[in-house]
Amino acid sequence: MNFRRPFNPSRRRFLTETARASLGLALFAGARTARSATAVNPFAYDVRKYETTDPKLIAYRQVTAFKCPLPDARRLCLVGTDRLAVAAGNKVALLDRTSGASSAEIPLNNPVRCVTEGPDGSLYAGLRDHVEVFDAQGKRRATWPGFAGRPWISSLAVNAEFAFIADAGNRVVYRCDLTGKAINHIGNRDRDRGIPGFVLPSPFLEVELHPDGLLRVTNPGRHLIEAYTFEGDRATAWGRPSMGIEGFSGCCNPVALAILPDGRFVTCEKGLPRVKVYSQLGEFESVVAGVESFPENAKVGSGEKPGDGVKASLDAVVDGQGRVFILDTVTGSIRVMVRNQAG
Amino acid sequence: MSHPAPNPSSVSRRQFLREGMRLAAMTGAGAFVGLSSGRTGAREHYVWQIDPTKCVYCGNCATACVLKPSAVKCVQAYEICGYCDLCTGYFVPEPNALNTGAENQVCPTAAIERKFIEDPYYEYNIIESRCIGCAKCVEGCTRFGNGSFYLQVRHDRCVNCNECSIARVCAGDAFRRVPASNPYFLKTSAH
Repeated sequence: MNFRRPFNPSRRRFLTETARASLGLALFAGARTARSATAVNPFAYDVRKYETTDPKLIAYRQVTAFKCPLPDARRLCLVGTDRLAVAAGNKVALLDRTSGASSAEIPLNNPVRCVTEGPDGSLYAGLRDHVEVFDAQGKRRATWPGFAGRPWISSLAVNAEFAFIADAGNRVVYRCDLTGKAINHIGNRDRDRGIPGFVLPSPFLEVELHPDGLLRVTNPGRHLIEAYTFEGDRATAWGRPSMGIEGFSGCCNPVALAILPDGRFVTCEKGLPRVKVYSQLGEFESVVAGVESFPENAKVGSGEKPGDGVKASLDAVVDGQGRVFILDTVTGSIRVMVRNQAG
Repeated sequence: MSHPAPNPSSVSRRQFLREGMRLAAMTGAGAFVGLSSGRTGAREHYVWQIDPTKCVYCGNCATACVLKPSAVKCVQAYEICGYCDLCTGYFVPEPNALNTGAENQVCPTAAIERKFIEDPYYEYNIIESRCIGCAKCVEGCTRFGNGSFYLQVRHDRCVNCNECSIARVCAGDAFRRVPASNPYFLKTSAH
């Protein structure tokens, strides 16, 4: 007869076997955790190849950066020769252009959506439905009447005669006199005049005055920059949709626009946060800052970081020397970019 | 010494039975009221749901559910949707044309219907029977658009496992137990 011998290990053997089993279990669990951490999502919306920029296309370098001292920074503009104004939260912050030091804050009663400076040094602050005007010392000079409908003022441009107010909610640019009285509407759909109308899935409508005497207005849903006369005639348009570097990515870009001293364009995009330069005819020329420059901004919406994708945008202004100031609304940082000598 | 004779009129049999029945009825009524109030007040039924603000589109909803296809489906918040011609929830990142060609669609099961409304607006509807809950469209819509596509556990098919197999592997820790009386998160603002 064959009897099995009872398992009767020594203490040493018992401890050795237990330790071996524990080690094996730990290795298995570790490997499983590592596998799940590095697991590739087979259903990823893969735009990785658009997130790196060809270094040969980058024509600018960062010379300095500073953070807006106020939360919820949305838009910025140049003030005088040495300052920036940032619309942030319920305030307009005035910052030194090179150090970022705060020199003044103008409090308002509601969130400030945009800000610009007039030729006489007045500051125009756009709130959701109306504009408030301040003198150079920050004293309120006027509160303009609100707009009807569903206003969402997103951009302002002011010259010696007129204020141009971009209303993303009503999908129109108002030309107003300097008391806030509307003179005419620009960009309303009008087939007879060949105006297709603004398409704005998200509240980004930007208006800029170009040195050629025309307005430039973004039309993000159509991936266009459109030129209008002050009377509202559509003169020209350029732009095309593409995730590639030469086009405007996603459903609705560009979200912001600035104009270089020689009339070329600086555009800002969201989703794939990037800032690029286009010629006056709309030909892609170079990159100011690629997606790699805005890692936190790119994470919002990509799933790596929860957040408000509508807030994850960029804004840019250009000074007389051609320096580009870029506001990242996710981090609140402002980067100062200058053109490479060789670029 | 003699014991006093029992008083025959102290408790009659009839009276004893009547009092006994009254006591039993009151006890029963009290127990019924107590039990029914305990059931309705203290023990609400809970179900699993995805918090869309935490979803990171990891793809696990499509693969980890005990049901095939998954009980998680994409839903469309029409009031948030931009009705874009170039919908990044519908089209692959670089479509060769903005049409319904299979090669241009981001959804691996063609579960999104694109319907013309007026130039240049299109409506996008989820065909639930085809949706596998992979969140590919959710990522495209949220990253580039308004985030009107989002995932929800559909309770007409979820078997409400005690330990949800998707919740165990959810990369965004987005699964929560919510009252069955209010089982969905309704997205009302972008992102």
